[in-house]
Amino acid sequence: MNRGLIAKSIREATAVTVMLAAALMLVEGVLSYVLPTVMGDFSDTLLQLPFFRTIIQALLGADVGDQLVPQTFVAIAWVHPTVLALVWTQAIVFCTRVPAGEIDRGTIDLLLGLPVSRWQVYIAETVVFLGTGLVMLLAALIGHRVGILSIASEDRPGLGTTLVIVVNLYCMFAAVGGLAFMVSAIGYRRGRAIAVVFGILMFSFVLSFLVQFWEPARMLAFLSVLNYYQPLPMVRTGDWPIGDMLALLALATVFWTAGGFWFARRDICTV
Amino acid sequence: MSVIETEHLTRRYGSRTGVERVSFRVAEGSLFGFLGPNGSGKTTTIRVLLGFLRPSEGRASLFGRDCWHAGRQVRDDVGYLPGDLRLYPTWTGEQFLRLFGLIRRRDIAAAGRDLAERFALDMAVPVRKMSRGMRQKLGLVLALAHEPRLLILDEPTASLDPLMQEQLLRHLRALAGKGHTVFFSSHSLSEVERLCDRVAILREGRLVADETLETLRERARRRFTIRWAQVKDAADVDPPPFLTIDERRTRTWDGSLTGQTPQLVRWAATQPIEDLTIGHPDLDSLFRRYYRDGGPEAGAG
Repeated sequence: MNRGLIAKSIREATAVTVMLAAALMLVEGVLSYVLPTVMGDFSDTLLQLPFFRTIIQALLGADVGDQLVPQTFVAIAWVHPTVLALVWTQAIVFCTRVPAGEIDRGTIDLLLGLPVSRWQVYIAETVVFLGTGLVMLLAALIGHRVGILSIASEDRPGLGTTLVIVVNLYCMFAAVGGLAFMVSAIGYRRGRAIAVVFGILMFSFVLSFLVQFWEPARMLAFLSVLNYYQPLPMVRTGDWPIGDMLALLALATVFWTAGGFWFARRDICTV
Repeated sequence: MSVIETEHLTRRYGSRTGVERVSFRVAEGSLFGFLGPNGSGKTTTIRVLLGFLRPSEGRASLFGRDCWHAGRQVRDDVGYLPGDLRLYPTWTGEQFLRLFGLIRRRDIAAAGRDLAERFALDMAVPVRKMSRGMRQKLGLVLALAHEPRLLILDEPTASLDPLMQEQLLRHLRALAGKGHTVFFSSHSLSEVERLCDRVAILREGRLVADETLETLRERARRRFTIRWAQVKDAADVDPPPFLTIDERRTRTWDGSLTGQTPQLVRWAATQPIEDLTIGHPDLDSLFRRYYRDGGPEAGAG
């Protein structure tokens, strides 16, 4: 491991990571506080609205039952589009920096002119990326634990249950990062790489919604990354979704490895 | 020992050829000029040498090791200044020095500060506030600070003022004197002439010359001016075959000498000439012919 590469990566990632982590803590805290307290009062009425019910089910990827209980709101706070957007933004922004970002801004010559292998660069980026994921999700966890103080203690999910969700979310973060690393390794333009990964995630998000409305979409549900991240069952049972987490980690590994080999073997041209 | 060696090096970009069958060697401790007009393949060759591009055919090695497969190891002893230098905009020179020291696992801070002082560069300024010249100086400091055995410099004097250019050339000469090798890519003849002891010339991806500067000087034609005693002499005398007359004025011939200087002197002694001036070898026009036609032989034909 090259300390210089790690230091460079940390330096470049710190500002964005701190901003996104702070935003995630705030959003997660507000959602965890607001959803059970405000929406809880209207839950019965809201569930009578077919569209609202479908939207909630689409978000959670599971049947919400006859009542919106505090656990449901806790689960919503972990799949809210703002939360997903912040987590995905961190993964996409970070993982498209090298090599696409470095080629795009013309600094790749400076970096690869040093006595470092491309795998060393790639691994250093990955290590810091995984570290920033820990920071992001720790911030989310803190925000969440503070936010749910509004829920009666007997309805409040335990730390263990929340950790299950956080670890699952971390696996999704890794999978999105792996995909972004691979797209970045193939491309020359960071903007294009971001657009491609963002497009794939939008497809994933829309697909998880369509699954609730449209029967043929169910056959394709496995293509959506959100298919492997469903907090409601975790909140209800506290069980580890081992299969989903392994699927996400497998995706992360395959994408990341493919990206690494591509980066190591590709020509580096300036654009 | 050859520090750089390429053999039939070819690099294509799809249907376009970057360089084709380029073979040359750079000896240790030499100041090697790599000349060619824009788009002639200089930067492509450098990118292959640094392991950024894989050769389509042939091979390239540094310190006897393949550039593509042993890129990391060979770059340990290389200082590289890219032609189109881009630096991280929020970093200062000091921060770059620390980063490069960490990555190279060497303490280069003192050497870097010494170089910065020599190039009159303020290392506390962030790159985004630096002028182009300052950025170029920082690039040079970073390329030189670890005292590499081989320096690969792509258009290093770009954006430097004449004093700094001279300072750099002095520094490079001193390094070569200590056994370091300098690979100096440029399209400026004058700086290569001032610095290098050997020159390779690329044209449209092909190597059209690889010779010592001394040999090139010998091959370069000298300019001459003959001032005749009478106007009618200038008109009546037929020029000998070793002179090419570019311009005839009333009493003056201007041209270039295609033969040897003593030939001209002997012939001039037999003519009613008032004055004869013979200039230095005209490297500039020699290089122009290399750039334009592929060499003196091709140019003459």
